[in-house]
Amino acid sequence: MIRKKFPCAVLTFSTTTAAMSMEKKCGEHKIPGRLIPVPREITAGCGLAWKMTAEDYEAYKREIENLNLKVEQIVFMEL
Amino acid sequence: MKKTVDAIGDVCPIPVVKTKKVIEELKAQGGTVETFVDNEIAVQNLTKLGKSSGYTVLSEKLEEKKFRVEIQVTAGEGANAQEQEISCIPDGRRWNTVVVISSECMGEGDPELGTALMKSYIYALSQQDQLPSTILFYNGGVKLACEDAPTLEDLKSLEAQGVEILACGTCLNFYGLSEKLQVGTVTNMYVIAEKMGQASLIIKP
Repeated sequence: MIRKKFPCAVLTFSTTTAAMSMEKKCGEHKIPGRLIPVPREITAGCGLAWKMTAEDYEAYKREIENLNLKVEQIVFMEL
Repeated sequence: MKKTVDAIGDVCPIPVVKTKKVIEELKAQGGTVETFVDNEIAVQNLTKLGKSSGYTVLSEKLEEKKFRVEIQVTAGEGANAQEQEISCIPDGRRWNTVVVISSECMGEGDPELGTALMKSYIYALSQQDQLPSTILFYNGGVKLACEDAPTLEDLKSLEAQGVEILACGTCLNFYGLSEKLQVGTVTNMYVIAEKMGQASLIIKP
């Protein structure tokens, strides 16, 4: 069965530790989403990224900015 | 004395024949023969040739289709001077066997012992006739493929014999070792999941 895909926002970071603190802070601030390995479509490289639905991203955009974490890029894609 | 054999472009058993001839010449005083070849099977054959006489064999992949095999010939008749047949062994890699190294330590208990065990495991792995197709390194395991690791020489020899060596990039980054990987290539979790999923045997020491 092919998994159904949804529009998502994927936030990437320049370091693994930054991605891990994103997970920690999002947990503390109750921001939805989860840590995933950076999708191959974004980079052939590696690393961890924060994935949330595009809808949630719009809703929590301000709060994410207030976390003061260095987000490398935000990619919108179906995941 | 050091002698060099260029066997680039030669098909088996030519690299073995050429190297064996030089070994014969060096046997009297001892020395080193360095052979350049263009494929992993030739590295496996030369490794077997050197090992069968009890010599130390080192090998490394220099670039795509360029490998260096060094056989250290000890003076005298060799530890095992029996006449070896020159043969082309089939590829010694076992397809779909994946070795997973997830820590610097082998087993749980004393970390110092664990590190020593892992080091000797990787050495023993490099000495097997049947090699895995891939070795995956993640978490603390990546340290073994980085600068100054005592396991580098053995891993380079495994790579030269055609074993694919993959290190988790997320982990290298976490440990601040992104620039220090000395053997194999950086990979991501999708490839790690794929390699493990497609493996018919996973070995986790």
